[in-house]
Amino acid sequence: MINKCINPKTVEEALDILESNGKDVKLIAGGTDLVIDLRNNKIDKNILMNISKLKELRFITIDENEITIGSGTKFIEIIENQHIKEKIVGLWKACKSVGSPQIRNMGTIGGNICNGSMAADSVPPLLALDATALIIGKNKTRSVPLRELYLDKGKVDIADDEILYAIKFHRLREKESISFEKLGLRKALAIARISCSIYINLENNSIKDIKIATGALGKYPQRENHIEKRLVNKKVDEIILKDIAEEMSKHVSKRLKGRSSRSFKSIAIKGIFAEAYKSAIKGANDESHKSHNK
Amino acid sequence: MKKRGKGIAATFYGTGYGNGFPDVSKAVAEVDHDGNVNIYVCATEVGQGAKTIIIQMVAEILGLGMNDIHLISEDTSQTLDTGTAAASRQTYNTGNAVKKAVEVLKSKLLEKAKEHLKLPSLLGLEVKDKVIYLKTFPKKRVCFKDLIEEKISVEETFTAQTVQMDEETGQGAPYWPYTFSCYGVEVEVDTETGIIEVIKGVCAQDVGRAINPELIEGQIDGGFSMGLGYGIMEKLNCKDGEIKNNKFSKYLIPTALDMPELEKIIVEDPESSAPFGAKGIGEPVILPAAPAILNAIYDAIGVRFYEIPVTPDKVLSEINREI
Ligand SMILES: Cc1cc2nc3c(=O)[nH]c(=O)nc-3n(C[C@H](O)[C@H](O)[C@H](O)COP(=O)(O)OP(=O)(O)OC[C@H]3O[C@@H](n4cnc5c(N)ncnc54)[C@H](O)[C@@H]3O)c2cc1C
Repeated sequence: MINKCINPKTVEEALDILESNGKDVKLIAGGTDLVIDLRNNKIDKNILMNISKLKELRFITIDENEITIGSGTKFIEIIENQHIKEKIVGLWKACKSVGSPQIRNMGTIGGNICNGSMAADSVPPLLALDATALIIGKNKTRSVPLRELYLDKGKVDIADDEILYAIKFHRLREKESISFEKLGLRKALAIARISCSIYINLENNSIKDIKIATGALGKYPQRENHIEKRLVNKKVDEIILKDIAEEMSKHVSKRLKGRSSRSFKSIAIKGIFAEAYKSAIKGANDESHKSHNK
Repeated sequence: MKKRGKGIAATFYGTGYGNGFPDVSKAVAEVDHDGNVNIYVCATEVGQGAKTIIIQMVAEILGLGMNDIHLISEDTSQTLDTGTAAASRQTYNTGNAVKKAVEVLKSKLLEKAKEHLKLPSLLGLEVKDKVIYLKTFPKKRVCFKDLIEEKISVEETFTAQTVQMDEETGQGAPYWPYTFSCYGVEVEVDTETGIIEVIKGVCAQDVGRAINPELIEGQIDGGFSMGLGYGIMEKLNCKDGEIKNNKFSKYLIPTALDMPELEKIIVEDPESSAPFGAKGIGEPVILPAAPAILNAIYDAIGVRFYEIPVTPDKVLSEINREI
């Protein structure tokens, strides 16, 4: 039961509190996941610390090589960022697909990552971008590849005395692109039943690098390495998408064994995967086309 | 692959409680000594516009502006029983009761005005903006306030016609009147994901008389969205009478983004027993949506569904059975 709320003014103050009291403290950012857990008496800690007012966690910086997004950045701020909209299309699309305007005005990317939901929309694109989580505590910082952050359903590798500070990934260059597709059961306010994000780097019309991540197909969003291996270094024209999609389907079917959603998801993933693949290829080609014209 | 299909459905709906069940609305109309017009009903406003159209009817009969009418509703300490806001019955039933009461009130006012103005007949007397005047000689006039010393109050009752059905044969005339609807829709079915998108709808709705066309269009929008949810989304998952799917995160209803563009056709064929010919359309506007959608799905993918909601998992499993 929560019986105390704290509003730290700075990240430093927050980290001080976590250092001394971390095991009793639950963080709240936008609250769009947490408030529901509070209502359902799922939170066993007794202090709530509000980090939504911390401006230091709310930023998007784009330097020559990297893009860093503060954990407290709201979806609306990501959607309104012109660079992300134009270049990091898959991440933009994922953030745009979260909930409704109200949820996007409150919800943060850090909350989305840390809540550890299998259906978190921003996570597959971040995984496909091979993003790194920057985690801080009092007098300590560490970087963890996002793909290693998830420990179990709803569990992330962030200790009681730490917070997620930001998420970082490389800028996309010519012939690189990222796509995102989501299967929701309606057009807004729909939790992903399946999501898929694909990063692609093309060179001479063959796939130099590809990273595929899916959501809602396991305990947490994850990379699909085996499919990546089937595609890397292949000529785009020689890839038979139908076969790859079929393989994806088999894999999903195996992973979801025993679940009621298995038969639906193992079929539906084919269409979602194929869409994500096609739009990633198209994005990479458009991107090279654009720079040629410059 | 995305496959498109079109479907239509026509339905009819009986207004009111039906099957011999007493269906009664009582209304009181009064003009008080200050000349205020007060209407007492208990037509619960649930967003359907009952209060608006009742006021419109009174305004029409008494030649008043909508703001000149004081409607007292949903207050059982002040009003009589108007029955439930259900069975699409308030426009028809309460509308009739109100119309009767206000018409009697009007004739009482005219009678009084005739005496007050020392006229030999009611002929040519008009009412407008709380003034009663002789059409051919408007200087002959009197306002409500000067006419009324003690408030005039009229109570009227409307009872709908209904016959109980024969339990053996199922025959009878359970409802009066009926309302007719016909919708056409176009859907796009994604055969890879099973997602059904309703991309267009054309809604023809018999209304008797459109007292407020904008409200009818709003009802059609709302009704269509409910029918759409009913047809392809809303799954209660009842087990032994208990609703298992009891969260709005799982029990999905359409959002604004799920609504297609709707073309609305309001069919006016005044109903002789209805107030100004108007029938209720609250429920009728829901009915044809789901069957039209299911017909369109059949047209698109050749699969007949006999159970709703037709959710993506059912679509996929049927498509893959076909192959
Ligand atoms: C109606 C509705 C619709 C939704 N639709 C979607 C959707 O379509 N897609 C989707 O992905 N999600 C959806 N969500 C879930 C939710 O909005 C997102 O997961 C959101 O990103 C959570 O962010 P938040 O800031 O509100 O997190 P909070 O609820 O404040 O926190 C969530 C969790 O993360 C922890 N946390 C937050 N910030 C940090 C940090 N910096 N460091 C460490 N831990 C932290 C909290 O302690 C908590 O455990 C929906 C929620 C609702 C209520």
